Amino acid sequence: MQPPAEHVHWLFATGFLLLGLLLLAEAIVGREVWRLRPWRAYLWPSLFFALGVLMWPVMVFFTNSTIHMLAHSSWAQVMMLAGAAELGLISGKLRNELWRLAVPLAFAVSGAAFLIHEANPWLYSRSAFVHHVCGWTLLVGALFPLGAAFKPRSLVFNTGYALVIVAVAITLYASRDVAPVFGHLSPSAGVAHR
Amino acid sequence: MKRLGAVMVVLLAFPATASAHATLEQTSPKIGQRLAASPRVVRLEFDQSVRALSNAIQVFDARGRLVSGAPHTLAGDSRVVVVPVYRLGRGGYTVRWATISNDSHVGRGVFTFGVRAAAPPISDAYGATGPGTSEHVVRWLYFLCLALLTGGLGFRLLVLRGPVAPDVERRFYRVTGIGVVAALQVGTIAFLLRAEDALQLPFTAFLYGDLSPFASSTRFGKAFVAMELGFAFVAALLFLAWLTGRRLLLWPAFLLSLGLGSGLSLSSHQSDDRGWLPSFADWVHLSAATLWIGGLLSLAFVVWNDRELRRRAFWRFSEIAGPLVALVVAAGVYMTFKRLPALDDLWSVGYGKLLLVKLGLVCLALSWGAFHHFVVRPRLDRPAVAGFLTRSLAGEASVAVAILLLAAILVDSKPPEKQPAPPQAAALASRR
Repeated sequence: MQPPAEHVHWLFATGFLLLGLLLLAEAIVGREVWRLRPWRAYLWPSLFFALGVLMWPVMVFFTNSTIHMLAHSSWAQVMMLAGAAELGLISGKLRNELWRLAVPLAFAVSGAAFLIHEANPWLYSRSAFVHHVCGWTLLVGALFPLGAAFKPRSLVFNTGYALVIVAVAITLYASRDVAPVFGHLSPSAGVAHR
Repeated sequence: MKRLGAVMVVLLAFPATASAHATLEQTSPKIGQRLAASPRVVRLEFDQSVRALSNAIQVFDARGRLVSGAPHTLAGDSRVVVVPVYRLGRGGYTVRWATISNDSHVGRGVFTFGVRAAAPPISDAYGATGPGTSEHVVRWLYFLCLALLTGGLGFRLLVLRGPVAPDVERRFYRVTGIGVVAALQVGTIAFLLRAEDALQLPFTAFLYGDLSPFASSTRFGKAFVAMELGFAFVAALLFLAWLTGRRLLLWPAFLLSLGLGSGLSLSSHQSDDRGWLPSFADWVHLSAATLWIGGLLSLAFVVWNDRELRRRAFWRFSEIAGPLVALVVAAGVYMTFKRLPALDDLWSVGYGKLLLVKLGLVCLALSWGAFHHFVVRPRLDRPAVAGFLTRSLAGEASVAVAILLLAAILVDSKPPEKQPAPPQAAALASRR
């Protein structure tokens, strides 16, 4: 028994919203203040890593097409990689600063996966629109963590990085087929069946 | 700009179809169902409206004859596609379907059912050719990943045990990390290859092929689900052990990866009509082999530049290598007797010939191991021996890796069938 796909989207949207808000808080108050309590430094990378681990069940249980399975697999891996790299850097296990590029890489790969697995133009349907918005937001938004990797104290880059994730969360919340509040309105989707 | 903004607001505010393309929700007959009588129609129900192509549903018998008519969507509910079928005789049938969903994606899939007979596995659907060279190579890579991961973890926990120098620890995490990440990738490729063979679609169409019947109703699909989830969890445990320096976390990772090895036995072609004991023997065989080979690889590549540690590790590994090899041989001999009904099968059928080559390589590896145990071990303190040992261990590991390749081909092959007893002998046996 699988939950509807949009419920899974909303769960991940909640995770991303939390992730974005944590990053935004750190960007606003500054790294030194944020890390006055050392455990706070581990918060958002742990959440990123956990979201990656949680994406694996989505990958193996939502197999209604090969390309969706591969897209979910790539998201799972890059999220785990990005979270793991940040955790390694914070704990001092990793010393090479190039590991900071794992986050922009994750953004770029995720964005590309969104765009590649969507075959239709922007305004073809709601799902096409959501995929294009997420894809381009992540692809263009990769510039923010990329900038933050080289200028870690930049307010613009850090805030932009956080807002990109918040934007993805909002877009994922908009992904719905049968919403209990709005009902099943699309005539092309046939009779309501859930 | 304002117009685009307005379109965005409207699109995000009102719900429409969000799922990317139509998902098959129900079929009649059910996937893998055994029917008592011929169905009149085959019916597919999707989660959204679809357009039926001229080949929307095609039903084939075991010899590839088309036994269905013209498909059409149901009047009043365009989520349902129906095709009439001829009166079907006893046997297995393959259903291939292709529909266009609202977002213009063409979804395709395959499933099987049986009439007064068991449904064939989806991997044996009409048109599937069975495992080929690429599947053998992928399965071999899977064995190698297991050796790196499970063998590496076993080596760290059972042979090295306590704290070790940071560079040795780093090499251990690199070896096992490569093993677990590669296991996740290779597992996905193995699943896709098996599904692609049954779906029989060109690459671009395969990208939109429905894999859910494979994941939910075949043994290799269930093994894929369990192993991907399990290895993702092992990867997380391994990472946390590295991050926090807690070796205790390696134990659940080791035990889990050891258990996950059974997925390879359960997903093999030859496990169709086996009970729990042969499957257990298969798992013991595979687990002992991965611990042995992974240990050899770790000896060669993890502790190679720490002379004192390598000496200690070599002594300890040789203590557990004996029981591991005994387990490999005992389980292997048992499975040989189970799978080969007659001795001459060893040289008269392809499966037996492959087994003979594998046995030859096993003998070579055992002799090499015995040479290490009885000749090299007592002379470990000599500088000349220390220099030669890494190359010799890499040589033994190479033979073991070649054995894994043959094991991969054997796992994908079907052993010879047992010949039924002649009627007279059977009658005599029943009278007794």
